[in-house]
Amino acid sequence: MGSNRPPVSSIELEDISAERRQRSVEPRRSRSHRREDEEKELKYGAAHVIRLFVPVSLCMALVIFTMNTIGYFSRDDGIYLVYTPFHKKTDNTAEKIAMSFGNAFIVLGVVVVMTSILIGLYYFRFYKVIHGWLLLSTVMLLSMFTTIYLQQVFETYNMAVDYITYSFFLWNFAVMGMICIHWKGPLYLQQIYLITVSALMALILIKYMPDWTVWTVLGLISVWDLIAVLCPHGPLRMLVEISQQRNEPIFPALIYSSTIIYPYILFGAVDSQIPDSDVPLVPSTNSTAASSTAGPSNSRNETAVRFAPKRKKKNQENKPLMQRTPESSNEQPRTQQRRSQPSASNQAVEVVEEIVEDQGIKLGLGDFIFYSVLVGKASVYGDWNTTISCYVAILVGLAFTLMLLAVFRKALPALPISIFAGMVFYFSSREFITPFMNELTIRQIVP
Amino acid sequence: MNLERIRDTEKLDLCRKYFYIGCFCLPFVWLVNFVWFFKHAYKRPHFAQQELIRKYTTFSIIGCIIWTILIVAWNIVFHYYRTSYAQYADYLSFVFPIGYK
Repeated sequence: MGSNRPPVSSIELEDISAERRQRSVEPRRSRSHRREDEEKELKYGAAHVIRLFVPVSLCMALVIFTMNTIGYFSRDDGIYLVYTPFHKKTDNTAEKIAMSFGNAFIVLGVVVVMTSILIGLYYFRFYKVIHGWLLLSTVMLLSMFTTIYLQQVFETYNMAVDYITYSFFLWNFAVMGMICIHWKGPLYLQQIYLITVSALMALILIKYMPDWTVWTVLGLISVWDLIAVLCPHGPLRMLVEISQQRNEPIFPALIYSSTIIYPYILFGAVDSQIPDSDVPLVPSTNSTAASSTAGPSNSRNETAVRFAPKRKKKNQENKPLMQRTPESSNEQPRTQQRRSQPSASNQAVEVVEEIVEDQGIKLGLGDFIFYSVLVGKASVYGDWNTTISCYVAILVGLAFTLMLLAVFRKALPALPISIFAGMVFYFSSREFITPFMNELTIRQIVP
Repeated sequence: MNLERIRDTEKLDLCRKYFYIGCFCLPFVWLVNFVWFFKHAYKRPHFAQQELIRKYTTFSIIGCIIWTILIVAWNIVFHYYRTSYAQYADYLSFVFPIGYK
């Protein structure tokens, strides 16, 4: 049952595995059936890719809308993050470039350190610390950054709001957010909260990083993503491997999932006390492990989780600390979990047979954030050509990444392709395409 | 979290927990409780836990409506008297509108 293949994606195990089992029983199955299966796989993968476009677009739309309407986030107030100390105002291009690279390396250093700390905590099984850290981060995001954002919104629209109403609203919003993200809640609400949180984070990053630093940081983080996920000793890859060894899911809290994770296995035969690790969580790294099951019964939805760094920074006034969830973490392939617990309950076997998972797609929040940062920054310059070309480039990059995922069936970083495509399109639009179009329009040469 | 995939006892448990959480001045949680379990409480043919789920969702929506009325009333009062009792209103104000230029 595909035992010599690395158990990386549930496509192999849920979808194909069922058919392989059948194939072993009926050895005379034709090759065309196998091709059909692969086709079905790819088609389902494509459907899930499209499903990811909507939330990514929503997040970007939110950021663009905010950048264009609320002046606060595009204004340069001279306050920057602690991690970007070089922000002297200068006209010298070389100096600007040097400063931005300096800032970017500091930010990258902080990211690396935080990831290593996280991996260390995970390795030494300090799960409570990690959970506490995540909880604290989410609370801060949901309360503090929302307050900053809403304060600016109210000021822009000239609305008077009193403390009582506002604190009541914030209390409701934050508690519901914590419930949806860290516990159980309706899927739509969880997705909305994750999109909102990513948009807020992206806005804070755009606001509090100096101009050129944003681009250098984006570039360096993409390179880091590539290294961390693909290199044999990359921290994120190690995280994935450790979690695979231990047969545990990784931090399901901060991943956007397009479908639903079922912590419990249906069918009364199975004990409801099954821990989360029983849930087939597809390996996730910065890329999504797309898995699709072309099965008759969509009784289960599994999503491949991709973790991306979720970074939070407090305001300049307080002592900023940066928290990050692992950039990518591979969750164990479903089959591994299944196989590893055959003794746990022999009902697990029935479950495998009957539950056909419809693999959704999972994307890490860090990817949302960085995509939105790119597009948000591009939209600041007031030119819709640039904004839209960056948007399309990012989506194309995302689709390409997911296609590669379906081909390689391995954890892949989601950032590099999209970010580099976005950056290429941004700079070329700004420097070449827009002036070109302007000239054409001036001379009334309609293309 | 898909409600279709968990057992009815767990649904009831979830509904109850949402109800209790909402008792801490959280009408939004009550609203979500109501909307989420609406189908199971009112539209599904009868099952064992339905009465209890129905009870919790009904109380949730009633509580939510009461809170909404309270908040709206407070806002009306605040905005009506904001300029006349300016000094006290300023202590309460989270944002100060600057008027129009």
